Amino acid sequence: MASVASKTVYDIFQSMEYGASASTTATAARTWLEQHSQSLGLFVDGGFVRPVDRQTLRVTDSTGESHNSCSMICICAKEEDVSACGVSASAGFKAWSELSAHRRAKVLLRLANTLQRYSQCMSELCVLSECPCSSSALVRLAHYYAGWAQLRDTLMPNWTPRGVVAIVVSADCQFYSIWLKVLPALAMGNAVIVVPGVKMAAPALLLAQVFMEAGLPAGVLNVVTGDCALVARVAQSIHTSYLTFCGSKQDGELLAKQLAGWGVPTSLSLSVSAVCPFIIFESADIDSAVDGVIEAAFKKNKDWQWVLCVQESMWDSVVGRLKLRMTGMKCVPLASEAHRSLVETAVQQAVQQGATLIQSCPPPSTGGLYPPTVLCGLAPPCSAVTTPPPGPLLPLLSFRSVVEGVTLGNHSPHGQAASIWTEDLTLALETARSLKVGSVWVNSHSVTDPSLPQSGRRDSGNCTNGGKEGLYQFLCPSLTPRMPRSTPRSLDYSAFGTAASTFMVPEGFDPSSVPRSCSQFIGGKLCKADSGCIRVVSSPGGAVLAYCADGGRKDIRNAVEAALKVQPGWLRKSSAARAQSLYALADSLDKRRRDMAASIQAQTGISMDEANEEVELSISRLSDWAARCDKQSGVVPPLPQTGSAFLIPEALGVVGIVLPDTRPLLCLVSLLGAAVAMGNAVIMVPSEKHPLPAIDFIQILQVSDIPGGVVSIITGGRDQLTQALANHSEIQAIWYWGSVEGCQFLQYTCCSPLKRMWLHCEEEVDEEGGRYWTHPSPSFEEEMWREAVVWKSVWIPTA
Amino acid sequence: MSVKNPGIDLDLEWVSKARVNTQAVLKRAQQVQGRKVAKKQWQAAWLLKAVTCIDLTTLSGDDTPSNVHRLCMKASQPVRRDLLKNMDMHDKGITTAAVCVYPSRVADAVKSLKAANSSLPVASVATGFPAGQTPLKTRLDEVRMAVQDGATEIDIVINRTLALTGQWAALYDEVRQFREVCGEAHMKTILAVGELGTFTNVYKASLVSMMAGSDFIKTSTGKESVNATYPVAIVMVRAIRDYYLRTGHKVGFKPAGGIRTAQEALVWLVLMKEELGDDWLTPTLFRLGASSLLADIERQIYHYVTGCYAAYYELPMA
Repeated sequence: MASVASKTVYDIFQSMEYGASASTTATAARTWLEQHSQSLGLFVDGGFVRPVDRQTLRVTDSTGESHNSCSMICICAKEEDVSACGVSASAGFKAWSELSAHRRAKVLLRLANTLQRYSQCMSELCVLSECPCSSSALVRLAHYYAGWAQLRDTLMPNWTPRGVVAIVVSADCQFYSIWLKVLPALAMGNAVIVVPGVKMAAPALLLAQVFMEAGLPAGVLNVVTGDCALVARVAQSIHTSYLTFCGSKQDGELLAKQLAGWGVPTSLSLSVSAVCPFIIFESADIDSAVDGVIEAAFKKNKDWQWVLCVQESMWDSVVGRLKLRMTGMKCVPLASEAHRSLVETAVQQAVQQGATLIQSCPPPSTGGLYPPTVLCGLAPPCSAVTTPPPGPLLPLLSFRSVVEGVTLGNHSPHGQAASIWTEDLTLALETARSLKVGSVWVNSHSVTDPSLPQSGRRDSGNCTNGGKEGLYQFLCPSLTPRMPRSTPRSLDYSAFGTAASTFMVPEGFDPSSVPRSCSQFIGGKLCKADSGCIRVVSSPGGAVLAYCADGGRKDIRNAVEAALKVQPGWLRKSSAARAQSLYALADSLDKRRRDMAASIQAQTGISMDEANEEVELSISRLSDWAARCDKQSGVVPPLPQTGSAFLIPEALGVVGIVLPDTRPLLCLVSLLGAAVAMGNAVIMVPSEKHPLPAIDFIQILQVSDIPGGVVSIITGGRDQLTQALANHSEIQAIWYWGSVEGCQFLQYTCCSPLKRMWLHCEEEVDEEGGRYWTHPSPSFEEEMWREAVVWKSVWIPTA
Repeated sequence: MSVKNPGIDLDLEWVSKARVNTQAVLKRAQQVQGRKVAKKQWQAAWLLKAVTCIDLTTLSGDDTPSNVHRLCMKASQPVRRDLLKNMDMHDKGITTAAVCVYPSRVADAVKSLKAANSSLPVASVATGFPAGQTPLKTRLDEVRMAVQDGATEIDIVINRTLALTGQWAALYDEVRQFREVCGEAHMKTILAVGELGTFTNVYKASLVSMMAGSDFIKTSTGKESVNATYPVAIVMVRAIRDYYLRTGHKVGFKPAGGIRTAQEALVWLVLMKEELGDDWLTPTLFRLGASSLLADIERQIYHYVTGCYAAYYELPMA
């Protein structure tokens, strides 16, 4: 300190240093903390509660200097606190959802105003808690979702809120990401229980208080703090009807496994550990790109890990600029001392593998500081590229051509975001299209706005936050049966679906009518099961109708291989061409309506009239999807900044569908239509009990002009095939109708690698379920197509 | 003034590859403006640095020997001596970098400075300032005469017609010829960015001027409707960096026109430090073309020393 004070004007005149920025006193935040005697409770039922005898967690603030530090104490909520919270949230939900849309919107608007008043205290508290967040971003969020709250009943009339939503955000996330989930949840009429990471408990509690001041009914927003066990407890509470998590991959995986079998739909945003490509093409404004990457990669609290990919012809000029721009940059504080050794190990390893370093200064010998470091000349096999440690490290890779640049960017289990730099508009748009990520920023990076949804692909998450699209995770179509709550059954996950089925020659074999032998449909060809086994298809009366293939892992594998080959081509076809193919399919179904009705009747035993009606509905359903092919389009969201943004629904890739027992033809074409219309390839597993209509549908598919491989139909044991689908990483989504155990298995298994899941437990909703398919709610098809796509937002700023 | 840029052969391929993304530059300019210098002695030191980088300028139709004389005297004692003494800076040779006048006033300025025993360089604008729309021959003569009269720095203006129509080779040749007639005098090339249309054009004009041997590139004459703005400066200093990385020659930068407040002067210094580094924070590589700026800086320094705000009449006029 002394040396700073004694610096003379002449010293500074010669060194031209900036001088330390004045440290903030954070008076407002400290006053607020003192009001709460530094000990923060839980926020339940519209107020702070501080139950006694709870374990506490100490949170120290960022300054770390003893004379002005103020530590906060958080309470670890116990079982009874969680149940009190659940009860309060249920009551809150009732009050909140009964309000008119306008009243809800008004509360959110008032919230925006109240927030502006608290903005000083809010941002100071965020800084103290080391989770900086601009309060203007929160205000914008409140304004944006107040609008959707107002319009919910007008624009989304056939959707209802989910109920009590648990929002879990781990400590390594941005503070903003809590509210990017909370505000849409509230806007749609849900009650919310927030479980913030301990670090951001204080600002989260303050914000809860601000909500109350804005007039939010008690119980609608609750904040509980505690350790890891708390999250599971909140999720398992009977009041919770949906859980969404934001955090790192490991935590998300763990949570998903804990929740398997509880019957709580769960979605994960795993943006924290996401590695995003920062691609500089030779047609870029190199200086701006280098500035951009320095800003993005060497921040203290960075949103994502970046990997810099530079076109080879620009290598020297990028490296030269990086060296020049990085000289004199200060060391960046690491989140903890432990990270220091991670960073050092990664750097050492990279150097051993031949990387050269660009460092602003040599690393200090000890302590939680590290200088901005670029690791040049790394190759993808180096672990610093695949899993860069948290800290100011930036791996630098090179690529030869534009195509290789995109391949390099896509060759990663992550799919959060990408930043691309080029002045060539065509190249920018082509690259934006081909990158398999949720957000693409052209000539910019890390732009967030509530109207630009962030949507993870692959391992970066299976839910969409922000925008109108981010509302649907907090809604379900009215009249749709919900997943029933359950308690996990004891299930040997490794043994699920591995039992070999045994072929039994049925009793009462009648030699006069030899049942036909049916093949499955893989890659456009009829084929037997790889294992060579067959199963019996029997009528409700027990008569043998046919023998079908008993498919297994290898068949699924073959179908995926075939699907991967044709799906990109199918997607590239114009949507009008896809529509024509689906219309033609509907036509062929129409021509064979009698055979199909007979097949349904033989299989399910329903009356011929009912069977005819099902075929009729199926034809109409397929035509619906044909019509929707070129009608479901993206959005051009208006943004506060100048530039162009667009939001594109893109195909998921390969979707595995395990079909329900009811309405075997109708649900087959409904789901097939949805997935295929949006450009996906599907692998369909017909009902184990009623496979015949699906098998007969193969002939219709064969004569259609849908490319072979886009639709595969594999018959066999449901559990066996579900297991096979779950264990194939190329399958991006699974739509499942089946047993409670099946749902539990999928929830447990499909979190690593992560898949998008649409799970339905058939056992208890059989009667209702039938109506679900034949008399769908108006939002039925909308829900389906939203399941069939993943959103990509592209942001092209202009001056 | 030790640095000299010998220039290089015209490299049109390099020029043609120049690409500038406007919005990214604007964003960067915002960022630079957000970077703050600490208060107290830091601010005082930075402001004094700004003083030493000023080309104290008068470019009016009504310039006469008397106001040029006053300008020269102010330039050699830009800050009140008692204020400097208070900061222990009185013996550190704080003067502005140069005085800048029209060619016809060069002789007056040289005379005044000589009489005051000052070695302050005299800069002269030339080549048909400000429009540059006079024949090449007269423009060359103008430079020659200013040098003869004792100007050691020449601020030439480029021919915008050539830049706007993309005749980079012709522009290169013209600037090359100016360079030759400048002889030992330093040459600052005014791009008149307000009239170049796009950032990409500014970048290209900067590159061509440097290839032709300019020691400084300067934003504007002060007579266009758009003068020195931060975004355009970022484009120019990036061209300087590009040129430095490729050739190893350091070229200076001079924003001019509309710079009036101490706060702006600080932003300019920050911009240089951020984009080019500390090397460019000296009068050899950085100049501020200004006239009324000095008065505001002196007031800020007065405030740092005394804690009070000065009235304009308390500080010596230029």
